[in-house]
Amino acid sequence: MNGHIPFGVADYFWDEASLRQSLLDALLETFRGWGYGDVIPPMFEFDSTLSAQYDDRLRSGMYRFLDRDGSTLSLRPEFTTPVARLVGARLHDWPMPQRFCYGGSVFRYLEPQAGRQREFWQVGGELIGAPSPAADAEVLAINAAALKAAGLTEFRQIVGHIRYYRGLLEALALNPEQAQQLHWALERKSEPLLAEFLRETPLRTGQRQAVETLPQLVGENVDAILSLAERHIQNRGMHEALRNLRQIVDALDGYDTLNSLVIDLTEIRNLGYYTGVTFEAVTPGLGTAVASGGRYDDLVGRFGPSQPAVGVALGVDRLLVAKQRQEGADAKNRTRRQRTVLALPRGSAAALVQVQRLRQAGVRIQVDVNDWSADRAFGYAGETDVVDVLLWEEEFMHYRRDEGGDFVLIGPLEADCLSPPQTTCAEIAGQSK
Amino acid sequence: MSAPGAGGEQSLLFALPKGRLAQDSLSFLEQAGLSTPTDTESRKLVLPAADGTVGFVMAKPRDVPTYVEHGAADLGICGLDVVRETDRAVYEPLLLPFGQCRLCLAGPAESAAGATEAEGDLAERSLGVSSSLHHPGTPLRYMSQPRIATEYPRLTRSFFAERGVNAEVITLNGSVELGPILGLSDLIVDVVQTGTTLRINGLVEIRTILESQAVLVVNRAAYQLKATEINRIIERMRSLTT
Repeated sequence: MNGHIPFGVADYFWDEASLRQSLLDALLETFRGWGYGDVIPPMFEFDSTLSAQYDDRLRSGMYRFLDRDGSTLSLRPEFTTPVARLVGARLHDWPMPQRFCYGGSVFRYLEPQAGRQREFWQVGGELIGAPSPAADAEVLAINAAALKAAGLTEFRQIVGHIRYYRGLLEALALNPEQAQQLHWALERKSEPLLAEFLRETPLRTGQRQAVETLPQLVGENVDAILSLAERHIQNRGMHEALRNLRQIVDALDGYDTLNSLVIDLTEIRNLGYYTGVTFEAVTPGLGTAVASGGRYDDLVGRFGPSQPAVGVALGVDRLLVAKQRQEGADAKNRTRRQRTVLALPRGSAAALVQVQRLRQAGVRIQVDVNDWSADRAFGYAGETDVVDVLLWEEEFMHYRRDEGGDFVLIGPLEADCLSPPQTTCAEIAGQSK
Repeated sequence: MSAPGAGGEQSLLFALPKGRLAQDSLSFLEQAGLSTPTDTESRKLVLPAADGTVGFVMAKPRDVPTYVEHGAADLGICGLDVVRETDRAVYEPLLLPFGQCRLCLAGPAESAAGATEAEGDLAERSLGVSSSLHHPGTPLRYMSQPRIATEYPRLTRSFFAERGVNAEVITLNGSVELGPILGLSDLIVDVVQTGTTLRINGLVEIRTILESQAVLVVNRAAYQLKATEINRIIERMRSLTT
């Protein structure tokens, strides 16, 4: 036994663990506030269930293994597909729309980067059974609310629409190599590659102009970009994509999110199952997206009656990194986790009764189980971040660590002295010196 | 290390490649009207521009796309060969008018003797692999398991894989031309500017894998978050390239 752990996973403990857990809770609480109910899908499923609609990049990044009966299983690389399966296969006759939220580990066999290991955490929500732009707007707005709940003040949501690009591809009727060339040029926002594509591909004037305009369909001026895009519509698909985007933007009116919107009709990286609006959230201090989502109207139907759906997932690990980088130096005096109190009952049942009472009042207390002396307890407390020690002498006597690291007697325990906030208690300690 | 991107300040951090492209990158930025660092020989890792608007890091060329992908730098300049080899998720809006070279497959000249510019004495090597298959015009799919020394393992592997050849790729960190001389490899894949290095080592070009030149790379998040500043820079550069 050497105690190593596999590449791509991590232990989280102490402050890091509690920070992570409380971020997860805060994000989930945001979704619950919007009427999303908890769902806990399994950690692994049949590979065929999960991977059918993924793109190559995600599919090649899945952890696969064999069940004892020989069937191929995969660790979940995201939550949307399991939730779609649940609704499609089992909850399809329950009234729509259905709202679900989730949080937990997902697994991808990728190079670890920017706070993201091969096991990383997602929180997200899915709104199933509503095709309307208002549903898309809700998910964009809830994403913004969740990012704010995570403590990010500055972020952008980059919104695209997969049907605009698919419509254009249809109109251009490209062969696979040409389509690949255009895809590459857009994915890398490369002007030279786009110029090369235009040079080598024979196109009608209108189509050529539509492709030439693509790089300009990026920016904050939502209205101007949509108007420009409308001038280069080649078919019904492109038209509907833009109309849908406009309706979504209109439906966002009233939510406090419009100033964070950036339109990018050339953003075409995605998981493969999206059918409508797609979006990513970016924030200063992190080079990659902290959240992404979109509409996927064809996924639930793979498992049961077809249902329109839209959802978003936030990367907990990346949020933590972004938050840490944005807060920078002043992160140290931020709210620390609540410290536990150490109580020495010294064999007294009455002491334990008192401890239970304090716990019910919300104080976190660990009880000495080694029958320590006061000095031994102070020694342990001094090394482990414990500030308050209670010694039982008919009643609890309250000792507190001072700046010099020595434990000084404050006096008999006063009930509100331990429960957070502990400011009143600090004053008492000051007076008693 | 000063945390880039921290806080609301909108200043940009530029990653520039040390070495071959460094001087060209700096003079190009000056031409584009950007303030550049006054002292690039300094041991400081992050250099401010003369007017303080932009910060610069001088990085190993291979690290430029990595810095930019992670957002440690907002923009960077490096060779297209490096961008393709490292395969990082960055935007690459512009090719820049310097650093032209080509990534080539090359092999010992004697195997191509007579057919090409085998300059007499150079072809006089007795050891080494003498397969006629290294001939510039021969389809590569006739090679069974060539051993290739290179600094570009990813591009080399995919170049051969596309041709159905299972090449044995030997990754080196420089002086790749030694490969065939020492019998370490049959062929090499390396960057060629003038071809002089190949010639004096008795090698000839067999195929061009990639035409390369300098390229501007941009972090995907910064592209949206700092759109105004970045677009202004792209605009200025574009006017120099077209």
